[in-house]
Amino acid sequence: MSGTENTLVQIVKAIVIFAVILQIVPFILIAERKLLGRFQSRLGPNRVGFRGLLQPVADVLKLVSKEQSVPVTAVPWMMALAPLISIVAGVATLAIIPFGPPGAWGGDFGLYGIDVPIGLLYFFAFGSLAFYGLMLGGWSSGSKFSFLGAMRAAAQLISYEVAIGLSLLGVAMTAGSMSLVDIVEDQSGMWFIVPQFVGFLIFMVAGFAESARPPFDQPEADAEIVSGYNTEYGGMRFGSFFMAEYIEVVIISGIATACFLGGWRGPGPEALGPLWVLLKMSAFVFLFIWIRATLPRLRYDQLMSFGWKILLPLATLNVLVTAIVLVVT
Amino acid sequence: MWFQQVMFFLAGAGALGGAIGVVTLRNPFYSVLSLVAHLIFLAVLFLLLQAEFLAAAQVVVYAGAVMVLYVFVVAYVGGSDEPLRPEGGALRVLGPLFAFVLVVELCIALLGSSLGLIDSPGTDVPAGFGTPAEIGSLLLRRFLVPFEAASYLLLVAAVGAVVLARRRRGLEEQEVGA
Repeated sequence: MSGTENTLVQIVKAIVIFAVILQIVPFILIAERKLLGRFQSRLGPNRVGFRGLLQPVADVLKLVSKEQSVPVTAVPWMMALAPLISIVAGVATLAIIPFGPPGAWGGDFGLYGIDVPIGLLYFFAFGSLAFYGLMLGGWSSGSKFSFLGAMRAAAQLISYEVAIGLSLLGVAMTAGSMSLVDIVEDQSGMWFIVPQFVGFLIFMVAGFAESARPPFDQPEADAEIVSGYNTEYGGMRFGSFFMAEYIEVVIISGIATACFLGGWRGPGPEALGPLWVLLKMSAFVFLFIWIRATLPRLRYDQLMSFGWKILLPLATLNVLVTAIVLVVT
Repeated sequence: MWFQQVMFFLAGAGALGGAIGVVTLRNPFYSVLSLVAHLIFLAVLFLLLQAEFLAAAQVVVYAGAVMVLYVFVVAYVGGSDEPLRPEGGALRVLGPLFAFVLVVELCIALLGSSLGLIDSPGTDVPAGFGTPAEIGSLLLRRFLVPFEAASYLLLVAAVGAVVLARRRRGLEEQEVGA
Protein backbone atom coordinates (compact mmCIF):
# COMPACT_ATOMS: atom_id res chain seq x y z
CA MET A 1 0.00 0.00 0.00
CA SER A 2 1.22 3.48 -0.81
CA GLY A 3 0.11 4.85 2.51
CA THR A 4 3.33 6.82 3.08
CA GLU A 5 2.98 8.89 -0.07
CA ASN A 6 1.38 12.25 0.34
CA THR A 7 -1.39 13.56 -1.85
CA LEU A 8 0.86 15.88 -3.84
CA VAL A 9 3.12 13.02 -4.97
CA GLN A 10 0.06 11.02 -5.97
CA ILE A 11 -1.32 13.88 -8.05
CA VAL A 12 2.03 14.40 -9.80
CA LYS A 13 2.25 10.68 -10.55
CA ALA A 14 -1.27 10.65 -11.94
CA ILE A 15 -0.47 13.54 -14.27
CA VAL A 16 2.84 11.99 -15.40
CA ILE A 17 1.27 8.61 -16.17
CA PHE A 18 -1.61 10.21 -18.02
CA ALA A 19 0.67 12.46 -20.07
CA VAL A 20 3.25 9.79 -20.91
CA ILE A 21 0.72 7.16 -21.95
CA LEU A 22 -1.25 9.59 -24.08
CA GLN A 23 2.00 10.47 -25.85
CA ILE A 24 2.67 6.79 -26.47
CA VAL A 25 -0.52 6.41 -28.50
CA PRO A 26 0.69 8.43 -31.55
CA PHE A 27 3.97 6.46 -31.51
CA ILE A 28 2.09 3.16 -31.63
CA LEU A 29 -0.06 4.59 -34.39
CA ILE A 30 2.88 5.45 -36.65
CA ALA A 31 4.70 2.24 -35.70
CA GLU A 32 1.64 0.20 -36.60
CA ARG A 33 1.11 1.90 -39.94
CA LYS A 34 4.79 1.73 -40.87
CA LEU A 35 5.14 -1.91 -39.81
CA LEU A 36 1.92 -2.95 -41.51
CA GLY A 37 3.31 -1.37 -44.64
CA ARG A 38 6.54 -3.37 -44.31
CA PHE A 39 4.71 -6.61 -43.60
CA GLN A 40 2.63 -6.10 -46.72
CA SER A 41 5.54 -4.97 -48.93
CA ARG A 42 4.35 -1.38 -49.01
CA LEU A 43 6.09 1.78 -47.91
CA GLY A 44 3.47 2.86 -45.40
CA PRO A 45 2.84 6.55 -44.75
CA ASN A 46 5.84 8.56 -46.01
CA ARG A 47 4.58 12.03 -46.94
CA VAL A 48 3.98 14.06 -43.77
CA GLY A 49 7.20 15.12 -42.09
CA PHE A 50 10.51 13.24 -42.27
CA ARG A 51 9.73 9.78 -43.72
CA GLY A 52 6.10 10.20 -42.73
CA LEU A 53 6.86 10.42 -39.02
CA LEU A 54 4.38 13.26 -38.51
CA GLN A 55 1.52 11.21 -39.93
CA PRO A 56 -0.18 10.69 -36.52
CA VAL A 57 -0.24 14.45 -35.95
CA ALA A 58 -1.97 14.90 -39.29
CA ASP A 59 -4.38 12.06 -38.47
CA VAL A 60 -5.32 13.59 -35.13
CA LEU A 61 -5.75 17.07 -36.63
CA LYS A 62 -8.02 15.60 -39.27
CA LEU A 63 -10.11 13.75 -36.66
CA VAL A 64 -10.41 16.82 -34.43
CA SER A 65 -11.54 19.07 -37.26
CA LYS A 66 -14.15 16.67 -38.62
CA GLU A 67 -17.87 17.17 -38.16
CA GLN A 68 -19.75 14.97 -35.69
CA SER A 69 -22.63 13.31 -37.44
CA VAL A 70 -25.43 11.69 -35.45
CA PRO A 71 -28.00 9.42 -37.14
CA VAL A 72 -31.69 10.26 -36.69
CA THR A 73 -32.28 6.92 -34.96
CA ALA A 74 -29.46 7.45 -32.47
CA VAL A 75 -29.57 8.39 -28.81
CA PRO A 76 -27.26 11.45 -28.92
CA TRP A 77 -26.27 11.78 -25.26
CA MET A 78 -25.41 8.11 -24.97
CA MET A 79 -23.47 8.24 -28.21
CA ALA A 80 -21.36 11.01 -26.72
CA LEU A 81 -20.95 9.17 -23.41
CA ALA A 82 -19.80 5.82 -24.81
CA PRO A 83 -16.28 6.79 -26.01
CA LEU A 84 -15.77 8.55 -22.68
CA ILE A 85 -16.45 5.31 -20.79
CA SER A 86 -13.93 3.46 -22.95
CA ILE A 87 -11.21 6.06 -22.39
CA VAL A 88 -11.81 6.44 -18.65
CA ALA A 89 -11.75 2.68 -18.05
CA GLY A 90 -8.54 2.39 -20.07
CA VAL A 91 -6.66 5.24 -18.41
CA ALA A 92 -7.76 4.15 -14.93
CA THR A 93 -6.20 0.72 -15.44
CA LEU A 94 -2.85 2.27 -16.35
CA ALA A 95 -2.46 3.37 -12.74
CA ILE A 96 -1.56 -0.13 -11.53
CA ILE A 97 1.14 -0.93 -14.09
CA PRO A 98 4.42 -0.87 -12.15
CA PHE A 99 7.42 0.84 -13.78
CA GLY A 100 9.82 0.54 -10.89
CA PRO A 101 10.04 -0.50 -7.24
CA PRO A 102 9.43 1.92 -4.37
CA GLY A 103 12.47 4.14 -3.94
CA ALA A 104 14.03 3.36 -7.32
CA TRP A 105 14.47 7.04 -8.09
CA GLY A 106 15.16 8.10 -4.50
CA GLY A 107 12.51 9.35 -2.13
CA ASP A 108 9.86 7.05 -0.79
CA PHE A 109 7.58 6.87 -3.78
CA GLY A 110 7.18 3.98 -6.19
CA LEU A 111 7.18 4.30 -9.95
CA TYR A 112 3.56 3.29 -10.35
CA GLY A 113 0.24 5.02 -9.94
CA ILE A 114 -1.11 2.95 -7.10
CA ASP A 115 -0.22 -0.40 -5.58
CA VAL A 116 -3.43 -2.03 -4.42
CA PRO A 117 -3.65 -5.49 -2.85
CA ILE A 118 -6.43 -6.27 -5.33
CA GLY A 119 -4.22 -5.29 -8.31
CA LEU A 120 -5.32 -7.94 -10.80
CA LEU A 121 -8.98 -7.63 -9.81
CA TYR A 122 -8.70 -3.89 -10.41
CA PHE A 123 -7.54 -4.68 -13.94
CA PHE A 124 -10.49 -7.04 -14.49
CA ALA A 125 -12.96 -4.58 -12.99
CA PHE A 126 -12.04 -1.75 -15.34
CA GLY A 127 -11.66 -4.18 -18.23
CA SER A 128 -15.26 -5.21 -17.77
CA LEU A 129 -16.40 -1.60 -17.46
CA ALA A 130 -14.70 -0.80 -20.76
CA PHE A 131 -17.22 -3.14 -22.34
CA TYR A 132 -20.02 -0.66 -21.64
CA GLY A 133 -18.27 1.84 -23.89
CA LEU A 134 -18.48 -0.51 -26.88
CA MET A 135 -21.93 -1.77 -25.97
CA LEU A 136 -23.55 1.63 -25.43
CA GLY A 137 -21.77 3.08 -28.44
CA GLY A 138 -23.09 0.35 -30.70
CA TRP A 139 -26.57 0.30 -29.22
CA SER A 140 -27.10 4.06 -29.15
CA SER A 141 -25.95 4.54 -32.74
CA GLY A 142 -29.30 3.23 -33.92
CA SER A 143 -27.84 1.27 -36.80
CA LYS A 144 -27.96 -2.44 -37.51
CA PHE A 145 -24.23 -2.78 -38.10
CA SER A 146 -23.35 -0.93 -34.92
CA PHE A 147 -25.80 -3.10 -33.00
CA LEU A 148 -24.31 -6.31 -34.39
CA GLY A 149 -20.84 -5.07 -33.50
CA ALA A 150 -21.92 -4.26 -29.95
CA MET A 151 -23.51 -7.69 -29.54
CA ARG A 152 -20.36 -9.37 -30.78
CA ALA A 153 -18.30 -7.28 -28.37
CA ALA A 154 -20.54 -8.36 -25.49
CA ALA A 155 -20.34 -12.06 -26.29
CA GLN A 156 -16.60 -11.92 -26.94
CA LEU A 157 -15.76 -10.05 -23.75
CA ILE A 158 -17.78 -12.38 -21.55
CA SER A 159 -16.23 -15.45 -23.14
CA TYR A 160 -12.63 -14.33 -22.91
CA GLU A 161 -12.76 -12.52 -19.59
CA VAL A 162 -13.09 -15.87 -17.81
CA ALA A 163 -10.04 -17.25 -19.60
CA ILE A 164 -7.95 -14.14 -18.96
CA GLY A 165 -8.88 -14.24 -15.29
CA LEU A 166 -7.95 -17.89 -14.89
CA SER A 167 -4.68 -17.41 -16.79
CA LEU A 168 -3.55 -14.75 -14.31
CA LEU A 169 -4.80 -16.78 -11.35
CA GLY A 170 -1.80 -19.10 -11.78
CA VAL A 171 0.53 -16.09 -11.49
CA ALA A 172 -1.30 -14.76 -8.45
CA MET A 173 -1.09 -18.17 -6.79
CA THR A 174 2.62 -18.53 -7.48
CA ALA A 175 3.40 -15.04 -6.20
CA GLY A 176 0.97 -15.36 -3.31
CA SER A 177 -0.40 -11.89 -4.00
CA MET A 178 -2.55 -10.01 -6.47
CA SER A 179 -0.60 -6.77 -6.17
CA LEU A 180 1.43 -6.23 -9.34
CA VAL A 181 4.37 -4.81 -7.37
CA ASP A 182 4.47 -7.94 -5.20
CA ILE A 183 4.20 -10.11 -8.31
CA VAL A 184 7.23 -8.42 -9.89
CA GLU A 185 9.16 -8.61 -6.60
CA ASP A 186 8.46 -12.33 -6.51
CA GLN A 187 10.12 -12.87 -9.90
CA SER A 188 13.63 -12.15 -8.60
CA GLY A 189 14.75 -15.74 -9.24
CA MET A 190 12.91 -16.61 -12.40
CA TRP A 191 10.46 -14.77 -14.63
CA PHE A 192 7.00 -16.28 -14.43
CA ILE A 193 6.99 -16.90 -18.16
CA VAL A 194 8.95 -20.12 -17.42
CA PRO A 195 6.80 -21.82 -14.76
CA GLN A 196 3.59 -20.25 -16.08
CA PHE A 197 4.21 -20.67 -19.81
CA VAL A 198 0.74 -22.08 -20.50
CA GLY A 199 -0.77 -19.25 -18.51
CA PHE A 200 1.27 -16.79 -20.58
CA LEU A 201 -0.01 -18.23 -23.87
CA ILE A 202 -3.61 -18.19 -22.64
CA PHE A 203 -3.19 -14.64 -21.39
CA MET A 204 -1.80 -13.44 -24.71
CA VAL A 205 -4.58 -15.08 -26.76
CA ALA A 206 -7.30 -13.86 -24.43
CA GLY A 207 -5.59 -10.47 -24.29
CA PHE A 208 -5.84 -10.15 -28.06
CA ALA A 209 -9.52 -11.00 -27.76
CA GLU A 210 -10.07 -8.55 -24.89
CA SER A 211 -8.56 -5.68 -26.82
CA ALA A 212 -10.59 -6.68 -29.92
CA ARG A 213 -7.49 -6.53 -32.09
CA PRO A 214 -7.12 -8.67 -35.21
CA PRO A 215 -7.42 -11.67 -35.50
CA PHE A 216 -10.13 -11.22 -32.84
CA ASP A 217 -11.64 -7.98 -34.14
CA GLN A 218 -15.14 -9.37 -34.67
CA PRO A 219 -16.78 -6.36 -32.95
CA GLU A 220 -15.57 -4.16 -35.81
CA ALA A 221 -14.91 -6.74 -38.54
CA ASP A 222 -14.80 -4.36 -41.48
CA ALA A 223 -15.34 -7.03 -44.11
CA GLU A 224 -18.57 -8.20 -42.46
CA ILE A 225 -20.31 -5.43 -40.53
CA VAL A 226 -18.80 -2.21 -42.00
CA SER A 227 -16.99 -1.08 -38.87
CA GLY A 228 -19.05 -2.63 -36.11
CA TYR A 229 -19.84 -0.64 -33.01
CA ASN A 230 -18.13 2.51 -34.28
CA THR A 231 -19.75 2.56 -37.74
CA GLU A 232 -21.74 5.73 -37.05
CA TYR A 233 -18.94 7.50 -35.26
CA GLY A 234 -16.79 10.20 -36.80
CA GLY A 235 -14.31 12.84 -35.80
CA MET A 236 -12.78 12.78 -32.35
CA ARG A 237 -15.49 10.52 -30.93
CA PHE A 238 -14.25 7.84 -33.28
CA GLY A 239 -10.74 8.97 -32.34
CA SER A 240 -11.54 8.28 -28.69
CA PHE A 241 -12.60 4.71 -29.44
CA PHE A 242 -9.46 4.33 -31.51
CA MET A 243 -7.31 5.69 -28.71
CA ALA A 244 -9.05 3.46 -26.15
CA GLU A 245 -8.14 0.45 -28.28
CA TYR A 246 -4.48 1.44 -28.28
CA ILE A 247 -4.55 2.11 -24.54
CA GLU A 248 -5.98 -1.38 -24.15
CA VAL A 249 -3.02 -2.73 -26.13
CA VAL A 250 -0.64 -0.83 -23.83
CA ILE A 251 -2.43 -2.21 -20.77
CA ILE A 252 -2.31 -5.82 -21.95
CA SER A 253 1.39 -5.33 -22.75
CA GLY A 254 2.00 -3.75 -19.34
CA ILE A 255 0.19 -6.48 -17.42
CA ALA A 256 1.99 -9.17 -19.43
CA THR A 257 5.32 -7.45 -18.71
CA ALA A 258 4.62 -7.26 -14.98
CA CYS A 259 3.12 -10.73 -14.63
CA PHE A 260 5.31 -12.80 -16.92
CA LEU A 261 8.46 -10.91 -17.96
CA GLY A 262 9.68 -9.73 -14.58
CA GLY A 263 8.48 -6.13 -14.87
CA TRP A 264 11.29 -3.68 -14.14
CA ARG A 265 13.93 -6.40 -13.73
CA GLY A 266 16.89 -6.27 -16.07
CA PRO A 267 20.64 -5.61 -16.12
CA GLY A 268 21.84 -2.39 -14.57
CA PRO A 269 20.71 -0.44 -11.49
CA GLU A 270 17.11 -0.40 -10.38
CA ALA A 271 16.76 3.21 -11.51
CA LEU A 272 16.74 1.89 -15.09
CA GLY A 273 13.57 -0.10 -14.32
CA PRO A 274 11.15 2.07 -16.30
CA LEU A 275 13.37 1.70 -19.36
CA TRP A 276 13.17 -2.10 -19.16
CA VAL A 277 9.43 -1.96 -18.67
CA LEU A 278 9.04 0.27 -21.72
CA LEU A 279 11.30 -2.00 -23.78
CA LYS A 280 9.39 -5.13 -22.85
CA MET A 281 6.09 -3.39 -23.46
CA SER A 282 7.31 -2.26 -26.89
CA ALA A 283 8.15 -5.87 -27.71
CA PHE A 284 4.57 -6.85 -26.87
CA VAL A 285 3.16 -3.99 -28.91
CA PHE A 286 5.31 -5.17 -31.84
CA LEU A 287 3.88 -8.66 -31.34
CA PHE A 288 0.36 -7.22 -31.46
CA ILE A 289 1.13 -5.52 -34.80
CA TRP A 290 2.96 -8.53 -36.18
CA ILE A 291 0.08 -10.90 -35.45
CA ARG A 292 -2.41 -8.42 -36.86
CA ALA A 293 -0.49 -8.39 -40.12
CA THR A 294 -0.03 -12.15 -40.23
CA LEU A 295 -3.20 -13.93 -39.19
CA PRO A 296 -6.62 -13.76 -40.86
CA ARG A 297 -9.71 -12.97 -38.82
CA LEU A 298 -11.40 -15.95 -37.17
CA ARG A 299 -14.96 -16.78 -38.05
CA TYR A 300 -17.37 -15.77 -35.30
CA ASP A 301 -18.40 -19.30 -34.26
CA GLN A 302 -14.75 -20.38 -34.32
CA LEU A 303 -13.97 -17.56 -31.93
CA MET A 304 -16.70 -18.64 -29.53
CA SER A 305 -15.96 -22.34 -29.57
CA PHE A 306 -12.23 -21.65 -29.25
CA GLY A 307 -12.83 -19.51 -26.19
CA TRP A 308 -15.20 -21.85 -24.39
CA LYS A 309 -14.05 -25.28 -25.52
CA ILE A 310 -10.28 -24.92 -25.71
CA LEU A 311 -9.05 -21.84 -23.88
CA LEU A 312 -11.27 -22.12 -20.80
CA PRO A 313 -10.61 -25.82 -20.02
CA LEU A 314 -6.91 -25.25 -20.66
CA ALA A 315 -6.86 -22.27 -18.27
CA THR A 316 -8.71 -24.29 -15.62
CA LEU A 317 -6.26 -27.14 -16.04
CA ASN A 318 -3.38 -24.68 -15.71
CA VAL A 319 -4.76 -23.38 -12.42
CA LEU A 320 -5.29 -26.92 -11.17
CA VAL A 321 -1.76 -28.04 -12.06
CA THR A 322 -0.29 -24.87 -10.55
CA ALA A 323 -2.20 -25.48 -7.33
CA ILE A 324 -1.01 -29.10 -7.12
CA VAL A 325 2.60 -28.12 -7.81
CA LEU A 326 2.45 -25.34 -5.22
CA VAL A 327 1.04 -27.65 -2.56
CA VAL A 328 3.52 -30.45 -3.30
CA THR A 329 6.67 -28.29 -3.36
CA MET B 1 -11.57 13.19 5.74
CA TRP B 2 -13.84 15.67 3.97
CA PHE B 3 -13.06 13.87 0.71
CA GLN B 4 -14.48 10.61 2.04
CA GLN B 5 -17.59 12.40 3.24
CA VAL B 6 -18.14 14.05 -0.13
CA MET B 7 -17.61 10.70 -1.86
CA PHE B 8 -20.04 9.04 0.54
CA PHE B 9 -22.83 11.45 -0.27
CA LEU B 10 -22.11 11.37 -4.00
CA ALA B 11 -22.04 7.56 -4.07
CA GLY B 12 -25.07 7.30 -1.81
CA ALA B 13 -27.07 9.66 -3.98
CA GLY B 14 -25.90 7.79 -7.09
CA ALA B 15 -26.86 4.41 -5.65
CA LEU B 16 -30.29 5.70 -4.63
CA GLY B 17 -30.81 7.39 -7.99
CA GLY B 18 -29.83 4.20 -9.81
CA ALA B 19 -32.17 2.10 -7.69
CA ILE B 20 -35.06 4.50 -8.25
CA GLY B 21 -34.25 4.52 -11.97
CA VAL B 22 -34.52 0.73 -12.14
CA VAL B 23 -38.12 0.73 -10.99
CA THR B 24 -39.35 3.95 -12.58
CA LEU B 25 -37.80 3.97 -16.05
CA ARG B 26 -40.19 2.62 -18.68
CA ASN B 27 -37.60 1.49 -21.20
CA PRO B 28 -36.10 -1.84 -20.05
CA PHE B 29 -32.70 -0.99 -21.57
CA TYR B 30 -32.40 2.20 -19.50
CA SER B 31 -33.71 0.32 -16.52
CA VAL B 32 -30.89 -2.21 -16.79
CA LEU B 33 -28.35 0.57 -17.29
CA SER B 34 -29.45 2.33 -14.14
CA LEU B 35 -29.06 -0.97 -12.31
CA VAL B 36 -25.47 -1.03 -13.59
CA ALA B 37 -24.96 2.52 -12.30
CA HIS B 38 -26.47 1.50 -8.96
CA LEU B 39 -24.07 -1.45 -8.65
CA ILE B 40 -21.05 0.70 -9.47
CA PHE B 41 -22.00 3.29 -6.87
CA LEU B 42 -22.47 0.47 -4.36
CA ALA B 43 -18.91 -0.60 -5.16
CA VAL B 44 -17.75 2.95 -4.34
CA LEU B 45 -19.54 2.69 -0.99
CA PHE B 46 -17.74 -0.62 -0.34
CA LEU B 47 -14.44 1.13 -1.12
CA LEU B 48 -15.23 3.78 1.46
CA LEU B 49 -15.80 0.98 3.97
CA GLN B 50 -12.26 -0.38 3.34
CA ALA B 51 -13.70 -3.44 1.59
CA GLU B 52 -11.52 -3.25 -1.51
CA PHE B 53 -11.88 -6.88 -2.47
CA LEU B 54 -15.64 -6.74 -2.16
CA ALA B 55 -15.77 -3.58 -4.27
CA ALA B 56 -13.68 -5.12 -7.05
CA ALA B 57 -15.65 -8.36 -6.91
CA GLN B 58 -18.87 -6.37 -7.08
CA VAL B 59 -17.76 -4.63 -10.26
CA VAL B 60 -16.24 -7.73 -11.88
CA VAL B 61 -19.07 -10.13 -11.10
CA TYR B 62 -22.18 -7.96 -11.14
CA ALA B 63 -21.45 -4.95 -13.33
CA GLY B 64 -18.99 -6.84 -15.51
CA ALA B 65 -20.56 -10.25 -16.00
CA VAL B 66 -24.15 -10.56 -14.78
CA MET B 67 -25.28 -7.16 -16.02
CA VAL B 68 -23.51 -7.67 -19.35
CA LEU B 69 -25.82 -10.63 -19.91
CA TYR B 70 -28.85 -8.55 -18.89
CA VAL B 71 -27.86 -5.77 -21.27
CA PHE B 72 -27.22 -8.34 -23.98
CA VAL B 73 -30.62 -9.98 -23.61
CA VAL B 74 -32.57 -6.75 -23.20
CA ALA B 75 -30.87 -5.19 -26.21
CA TYR B 76 -31.74 -8.25 -28.28
CA VAL B 77 -35.31 -9.03 -27.24
CA GLY B 78 -36.38 -6.14 -25.02
CA GLY B 79 -37.69 -3.97 -27.82
CA SER B 80 -36.51 -0.45 -27.03
CA ASP B 81 -39.90 1.21 -27.63
CA GLU B 82 -41.97 -1.31 -25.74
CA PRO B 83 -42.67 -0.05 -22.22
CA LEU B 84 -42.99 -2.49 -19.36
CA ARG B 85 -46.62 -2.40 -18.36
CA PRO B 86 -47.35 -2.43 -14.65
CA GLU B 87 -49.27 -5.47 -13.50
CA GLY B 88 -52.74 -4.55 -12.30
CA GLY B 89 -54.72 -5.56 -9.26
CA ALA B 90 -53.03 -7.51 -6.55
CA LEU B 91 -49.50 -6.15 -7.12
CA ARG B 92 -50.70 -2.57 -6.83
CA VAL B 93 -51.93 -3.28 -3.33
CA LEU B 94 -49.29 -5.75 -2.22
CA GLY B 95 -46.26 -3.81 -3.50
CA PRO B 96 -46.70 -0.68 -1.34
CA LEU B 97 -47.77 -2.87 1.57
CA PHE B 98 -44.53 -4.86 1.51
CA ALA B 99 -42.51 -1.68 1.00
CA PHE B 100 -44.18 -0.17 4.04
CA VAL B 101 -43.48 -3.27 6.14
CA LEU B 102 -39.82 -3.13 5.04
CA VAL B 103 -39.56 0.55 6.02
CA VAL B 104 -41.01 -0.16 9.45
CA GLU B 105 -38.63 -3.07 9.93
CA LEU B 106 -35.62 -0.97 8.92
CA CYS B 107 -36.71 1.84 11.23
CA ILE B 108 -36.94 -0.58 14.16
CA ALA B 109 -33.49 -1.97 13.35
CA LEU B 110 -31.96 1.50 13.01
CA LEU B 111 -33.52 2.92 16.16
CA GLY B 112 -32.66 -0.17 18.11
CA SER B 113 -28.99 -0.40 17.26
CA SER B 114 -26.81 2.01 15.43
CA LEU B 115 -28.24 5.51 15.60
CA GLY B 116 -25.97 6.40 18.49
CA LEU B 117 -22.92 5.49 16.42
CA ILE B 118 -23.56 8.01 13.65
CA ASP B 119 -21.69 10.79 15.44
CA SER B 120 -18.77 8.58 16.50
CA PRO B 121 -15.74 8.04 14.24
CA GLY B 122 -16.57 4.33 14.01
CA THR B 123 -14.52 1.35 15.07
CA ASP B 124 -10.91 0.91 13.99
CA VAL B 125 -10.38 -1.57 11.22
CA PRO B 126 -7.70 -4.19 11.89
CA ALA B 127 -4.69 -4.26 9.55
CA GLY B 128 -5.31 -6.31 6.44
CA PHE B 129 -9.07 -5.89 6.75
CA GLY B 130 -10.85 -6.47 3.45
CA THR B 131 -7.75 -7.68 1.59
CA PRO B 132 -7.99 -10.80 -0.60
CA ALA B 133 -5.78 -12.74 1.81
CA GLU B 134 -8.01 -11.97 4.79
CA ILE B 135 -11.22 -12.80 2.95
CA GLY B 136 -9.67 -15.96 1.51
CA SER B 137 -8.68 -17.29 4.90
CA LEU B 138 -12.13 -16.44 6.27
CA LEU B 139 -13.81 -18.31 3.44
CA LEU B 140 -11.59 -21.37 3.68
CA ARG B 141 -11.42 -21.61 7.49
CA ARG B 142 -14.32 -20.09 9.36
CA PHE B 143 -16.94 -20.23 6.62
CA LEU B 144 -15.75 -23.34 4.81
CA VAL B 145 -19.05 -25.24 4.87
CA PRO B 146 -21.28 -22.39 3.61
CA PHE B 147 -18.64 -21.58 0.99
CA GLU B 148 -18.53 -25.15 -0.30
CA ALA B 149 -22.33 -25.37 -0.17
CA ALA B 150 -22.59 -22.24 -2.29
CA SER B 151 -20.11 -23.56 -4.83
CA TYR B 152 -22.05 -26.85 -4.96
CA LEU B 153 -25.21 -24.85 -5.63
CA LEU B 154 -23.47 -23.03 -8.48
CA LEU B 155 -22.30 -26.34 -9.91
CA VAL B 156 -25.86 -27.67 -9.85
CA ALA B 157 -27.07 -24.51 -11.58
CA ALA B 158 -24.39 -24.85 -14.27
CA VAL B 159 -25.29 -28.49 -14.89
CA GLY B 160 -28.95 -27.50 -15.03
CA ALA B 161 -28.21 -24.84 -17.62
CA VAL B 162 -26.36 -27.36 -19.78
CA VAL B 163 -29.21 -29.87 -19.50
CA LEU B 164 -31.82 -27.26 -20.45
CA ALA B 165 -29.74 -26.04 -23.40
CA ARG B 166 -29.27 -29.59 -24.68
CA ARG B 167 -32.96 -30.39 -24.37
CA ARG B 168 -33.89 -27.31 -26.40
CA ARG B 169 -31.41 -28.20 -29.10
CA GLY B 170 -32.93 -31.68 -29.26
CA LEU B 171 -36.37 -30.15 -29.88
CA GLU B 172 -35.01 -28.04 -32.70
CA GLU B 173 -33.53 -31.10 -34.35
CA GLN B 174 -36.91 -32.83 -34.14
CA GLU B 175 -38.60 -29.86 -35.77
CA VAL B 176 -36.09 -29.87 -38.55
CA GLY B 177 -36.58 -33.62 -39.01
CA ALA B 178 -40.38 -33.30 -39.13
